Amino acid sequence: MSNESPDYFTHPLGEWLKGTGPDHDVVISTRVRLARNIKGFPFTGRADLKQRGDLLRIANEALHRVHLEKSVVTLDLQALSETERDILVERHLISRELAGAEGPRGVTFGRGEMLSIMVNEEDHLRLQWIKSGFDVDRAFSAIRRIDLALEKVLPFATSEQYGYLTACPTNVGTGMRISVMVHLPALTLLDHVEKVFKAAQRMNHAVRGLYGEGTRAFGDMYQLSNQATLGRSEEEIVSNVKAIVPQVLEYERRMRGELYTEKREFVEDKVLRSLALLRSARRLSVQEMMSHLSMVRLGVDLKIITDVTMNTVNRLFVTGQPSHLQREARATLGPTEREARRAELVRSQLATGTN
Amino acid sequence: MDCQCCQKKPAHIRVCDIDDNVMSEQFNICADCWIFVKRYLFDQERHLAPTREVLNEVRQLISSKESTALAVAEAPGGLAPTGKPAEVPVCPDCGMTLAEFKAKGRFGCPRDYEVFHTHLDPLLERIHDTTPPRHKGRVPAAGESDDSLVRQRQQVARLKDQLQAAVTQENYEQAARLRDQINALENAVDAGKAAPGGTA
Ligand SMILES: [Zn+2]
Ligand SMILES: [Zn+2]
Repeated sequence: MSNESPDYFTHPLGEWLKGTGPDHDVVISTRVRLARNIKGFPFTGRADLKQRGDLLRIANEALHRVHLEKSVVTLDLQALSETERDILVERHLISRELAGAEGPRGVTFGRGEMLSIMVNEEDHLRLQWIKSGFDVDRAFSAIRRIDLALEKVLPFATSEQYGYLTACPTNVGTGMRISVMVHLPALTLLDHVEKVFKAAQRMNHAVRGLYGEGTRAFGDMYQLSNQATLGRSEEEIVSNVKAIVPQVLEYERRMRGELYTEKREFVEDKVLRSLALLRSARRLSVQEMMSHLSMVRLGVDLKIITDVTMNTVNRLFVTGQPSHLQREARATLGPTEREARRAELVRSQLATGTN
Repeated sequence: MDCQCCQKKPAHIRVCDIDDNVMSEQFNICADCWIFVKRYLFDQERHLAPTREVLNEVRQLISSKESTALAVAEAPGGLAPTGKPAEVPVCPDCGMTLAEFKAKGRFGCPRDYEVFHTHLDPLLERIHDTTPPRHKGRVPAAGESDDSLVRQRQQVARLKDQLQAAVTQENYEQAARLRDQINALENAVDAGKAAPGGTA
């Protein structure tokens, strides 16, 4: 895959954006990530540029020796522009840390953008699989297959006591983090998110806003993930997540139902105003776009809106981000130009008769 | 208020010197400096020294050792009154010290888990809410892993160093030989085969 191809950067193919998987009314995606390090090298943070170069080569050779998927793309992040790297971040293919890091580093991902393997993040390898909807089992077995294939060609750093050794002790053991991206508009409207945060924490899971900081997350998108990676088997971590997440989903659904039966007019008003605004605005900040998209997404689920699909809404959450707009425009855009472009994109995607 | 010892960190501990039941001087000290200061203050030979003198000594100790100083204080056995380290855990592979790990929150290499293991267990228990903090998941199947990619890459790196040296010494015959070897290895790697006779 060469870096000139425009399609790659402007048209996200992410399966997780489909808006179809199990529990897609609340869950956007399920991601399972494994942290792995190669024996005989210091962790990335302490490796010099030469060692990082060697690590990248070793990793890429290994990744191409193993059959990962039908078709994979390998990108040398040093060769990409900042905008291109940010696009990969907006698309959840790489972390913001990897985008902003220095020295040799890369990413390999599958065409469906379900598999992504970061090289020289905080750990030498970060393997992740993202599925749309709440689908821990599939995401887990898919990434385990990749892990098993890779361990045949790469010696991973492990110890009997601590399992897979990672740069940060918060990841040691299984090196496994399951993150479920959830949309909680009703819990946010009713101010119940804090309660969810605390309950999850008691069960050793963390909730954080996906965009923005603190409890008020833009677009009411949150990420729920397991905290502990040590002292539990992978299967136990999977079953814990499968026990906890449905409770959050039920809570959100119950609140959506209550809202709609008890405050129908209030909800309809909010949802339809948001849709009207998105359909006519000439300038949109990213924050504004996300908060109204959130209401539209709620409206689609409650069938208040019937001419927009989940897929359209999910995709806008990604394509309306700054770097995607920048790339689509093929020019460096100032903040106001970007807001105009964003409004244009949103209008065209939500126009009646397009969905 | 800033610590009167290091003059950097916020002070939370107050030390008072009392002469004939009258407080003569008081000092505000941060938690990190306190680790050292208390060793002097409660040391048999030194406990009568005025706090001001102790702070001077500790300040010198800290600036001379900076990072390793903390590791000393935290080491099992602690700091001898003379200021000599009793035992400083330092990773022989990457040079990581406990103080550096504490400051960064990241390890330098896999071996650090073994080097700092006594300090690590309480931390891991807290983070992962598990006692004792031991791995329960799977580990790579024994003996199955093929490390030829790593070995070849390391061999290439070594040969490149030798090549550099040969060029510097204007030993061009040697350099040419090394270049051929490197190319052969690189090709073998690219072709996905083990290098012929590729051992180190
Ligand atoms: Zn101090
Ligand atoms: Zn080390």
